[in-house]
Amino acid sequence: MTTETPFTHIGKPLPRKEDRRFLTGKGRYLDDVVLPGALQVSFVRAPHAHARIAAIDTEAARALPGVLGVFTGRDLAQWTAPLRLAPPIEGLHPVEMTTLPIDKVRFHGDPVAVVVARDRYVAEDAAELVEVSYEPLPCVADTAAALAPGAPLVDDTLPDNLVSHQSFRAGDPVARRAEAARVVEARFDLHRHTHVPMETRGCLADWDAGRSHLTMHIGTQAPHPMRSQLAARMGLTETQVTVISPDIGGGFGQKIALYREELTVAALSRHFGRPVRWREDRLENLTSASHARETHCVTRAAVRADGRILGLELDLTEDFGAYCFYPANYMARVIAMILTGPYRISDYAFDVKVVLTNKCGNGPMRAPMAITSWVMEGTIDAVARELGLDPVEVRRINAVRPADLPFTMPTGEVLEDVTPLETLEAAVAAIDVPAFRARQAQARAEGRLLGLGLCTVVESTTYGSEFYKAAGIPGSGHEAAWVRIEPSGAVNASVGVMGSGQGYETPLAQAVAEGLGVTPDMVNVHMGHTDIAPYGMGSRGARGATAGGGTLYLCAQKAAEKVLAIAAGMLNLNDAQGLRLQDGQVERRLEDAWQATGVSLADVARRAYLDPTALPEGIAPGLDVSLTYDPPAMTYSNSTHACEVEIDPATGRIAIARYVVAEDCGTVLNPLVVKGQQQGAVGMGLSGALFEEVIYDESGQNLTATLADYLVATACELPNIEILPMHTPNRKTPAGIKGMAEGGIMGSIGVIAGAVNDALAPLGVTAEQMPLSPQRMRALMRGAGNFTYGTSFSDPGTTAHDTTTHGTPGNSDGRTGRA
Amino acid sequence: MSTPVPISLVVNGEAHDLVVPPRKLLSDVLREDLNLTGTHVGCEHGVCGACTILIDGRPARACLTYAVQLEGHELTTIEAVAEGDTLSPLQQALHEEHGLQCGFCTAGIVMTFEAYLRENPAPSEAEVRDVLSGNLCRCTGYQNIVTAVLKAAEAMRGGRGA
Ligand code: FES
Ligand code: FES
Repeated sequence: MTTETPFTHIGKPLPRKEDRRFLTGKGRYLDDVVLPGALQVSFVRAPHAHARIAAIDTEAARALPGVLGVFTGRDLAQWTAPLRLAPPIEGLHPVEMTTLPIDKVRFHGDPVAVVVARDRYVAEDAAELVEVSYEPLPCVADTAAALAPGAPLVDDTLPDNLVSHQSFRAGDPVARRAEAARVVEARFDLHRHTHVPMETRGCLADWDAGRSHLTMHIGTQAPHPMRSQLAARMGLTETQVTVISPDIGGGFGQKIALYREELTVAALSRHFGRPVRWREDRLENLTSASHARETHCVTRAAVRADGRILGLELDLTEDFGAYCFYPANYMARVIAMILTGPYRISDYAFDVKVVLTNKCGNGPMRAPMAITSWVMEGTIDAVARELGLDPVEVRRINAVRPADLPFTMPTGEVLEDVTPLETLEAAVAAIDVPAFRARQAQARAEGRLLGLGLCTVVESTTYGSEFYKAAGIPGSGHEAAWVRIEPSGAVNASVGVMGSGQGYETPLAQAVAEGLGVTPDMVNVHMGHTDIAPYGMGSRGARGATAGGGTLYLCAQKAAEKVLAIAAGMLNLNDAQGLRLQDGQVERRLEDAWQATGVSLADVARRAYLDPTALPEGIAPGLDVSLTYDPPAMTYSNSTHACEVEIDPATGRIAIARYVVAEDCGTVLNPLVVKGQQQGAVGMGLSGALFEEVIYDESGQNLTATLADYLVATACELPNIEILPMHTPNRKTPAGIKGMAEGGIMGSIGVIAGAVNDALAPLGVTAEQMPLSPQRMRALMRGAGNFTYGTSFSDPGTTAHDTTTHGTPGNSDGRTGRA
Repeated sequence: MSTPVPISLVVNGEAHDLVVPPRKLLSDVLREDLNLTGTHVGCEHGVCGACTILIDGRPARACLTYAVQLEGHELTTIEAVAEGDTLSPLQQALHEEHGLQCGFCTAGIVMTFEAYLRENPAPSEAEVRDVLSGNLCRCTGYQNIVTAVLKAAEAMRGGRGA
């Protein structure tokens, strides 16, 4: 753990620049951008999970005063090209979708027609009047039904619903089973989630017929890839499209892809030659925007009697929904690639199936690999339970140790400069595990259910191009930036990432300030406008700091070189040796001390722009520097979450008594913002693990279409989080940045499951399915034969070492564990 | 329902004469007719609290109210909370404690607690969490918002010499 940093501005907890406008109601989100004469649209959506579109009668809707037109998939097919996803990946079927469905709908909420009207109220009235005749088809509402022989096809062009299937093997896990003292099998069912940004989707398209130019105002995490998509699908060149992202009210992965509704709005703007806007309502957002997760995993760990894992096998099945806005292997593949994470496992195999069903399509949601740590840590806990070992010891005996680094995972992923064992020990020490075990034993004797969970996370934050190539996932991981010192000495900068609320403006200004040698308040970072920002890959994963901040830092360093070369000329020096820029002033190293030269950045800028003939030979006028950067194949940060819970046997309510995170995310740009991300990620993870759930009935009807049904945690349900920060720099990234923001999701899902199962241990039941709602807790407790209120529980012996004296796993009766 | 009618609304101390359809939501009238876009709309069904404003000093959901119902009432929105360039103690505390991220929920939370802290100047953490449970925030996990509200309460008590 290092706390001293060599930096002046990086690592300072500066409050955020954007706060003032948000606090005073002066933010500019999409709906605050007004264009005169803009038309409004409303989508007509399918009431069926799966049905043929027989006919669409738009007459009554068109007749309504204020309606300018009603359009269907056939209209859109004339104006736009379909999306074809056909990356050359083994086991992945190519897929194609039209802008709006033409022949059939594939899920409850699929858009079938769009109404254009003078205002949103009229548009919604008219949408009600559009008569669509459907011929319902049998639907597949889960993966079992979808994979059954002869199942109805979600996508008629595919041979079956198994849209992606890949397997992998390193070493010989089957042989390891034969050598093992025990093969421990564990199951994990992470339910369907949705992102619920507080600002729903929406866009404002503005076609300029005079210039043949589309300006798309849209809250997007990835403005340039969005521009490429829009241009390609509308038959325009990339010179004809500008994407402008205003302030975004949260994205969490939902605002990356170009969705069908957005393309429709852009096409309508061109058709009418007028601005057209769409504001998604919450019902649409919950049912039709993008869903996530619904991943089912089974692991088999071949273990020695002391808990050392000899081999691990993973079977993963993801319910991907009806449409692929991303290659279907995209999220599941990462889970399988990094599963073994903080543990020394060399014999490993996975089998990953991604299945189409009649539900809203899946996409990446904050921590696309969310289930990973639950699966790995839950497997470790299952090993400890079955062998009667201390779960902390099982972690220790398997952990990647400092001497093992750099450590190559069985999938070829390389861990460098990570500290999983250190974060584990820090969390274990903070909790004081022996003291907890004593409290727990006491509580059990009183008939109370206390549990402790531990979850060590290795978080893949920043995907370099090399990773995509090696993993067989299409994509580039590079980023681009420019830094411009204007004639006055003011510093403008830009980068291709676009924040969706994290607060990029301040930390990224700190990165520029550090690299250049100015103060952060002198720097303004411009993002989200494709005519201003350079082409970058946008914000996905947790690449904001490493890719965004790192690229800006390197670019600012490059700008500083030029500034100092010019300053050397002004000071009549041969070169810039012994010069530096500090807080916007050029300083010179004389006799071991930095001394003022009297030359400021503004002086240098004036010469660069306004007196270029006075520049040293070979130096071009201006101070305009750009740079692209491709981060290492993968950057990892790591953490250990620890959490104490108590389950109320009467209500099934889970109360979180304590929550600790020891997290090592390397050099941080701004610890205030990082802490906000850590708290926010844990909050979102817990909310998902405990309450949220997208529910479809067996006929494919979405039953969770309001925020009263899809339950997001409130302030009463979430705990305060204690953070133990650690900062081991990554030696391969600029300034040692590692990034973070998704690990909190992985850790919280895993740790809450671990804590709950530790609490339930005396009842001999294990929660394998989320959400861990009160109803599910009660059902589990009811299912535990030996459970009645007020009885005391014997200790199930999680710390005993004798594996032979224990009965069937999950049976607490007659156990003789150490008390 | 859709034939506009004249109404007069007092918002942030200023009277406005408007012509709006009776079915137009107060949130839409504030945002579209009065350009007060600081009030946000997150669900339009009364759950998220993003649209919270004050009606006669009491927090209310602007998405569950028709503008025509509000003649004769005093409305206050986020735009009236800071005095010129000076943030209110609550806004200042939210800034210092990093109690906001995307900012979409923030106006509703500020309005809720501007009213609540006048009613209860010395709330406990549990009371703050209870009141805050009427506002959803997807970004922060609430911890820093709670800290900020408690800090603002203290600052406001100190400021009044209490
Ligand atoms: S928008 Fe009014 S409560 Fe959500
Ligand atoms: S700050 Fe984004 S919803 Fe609260």
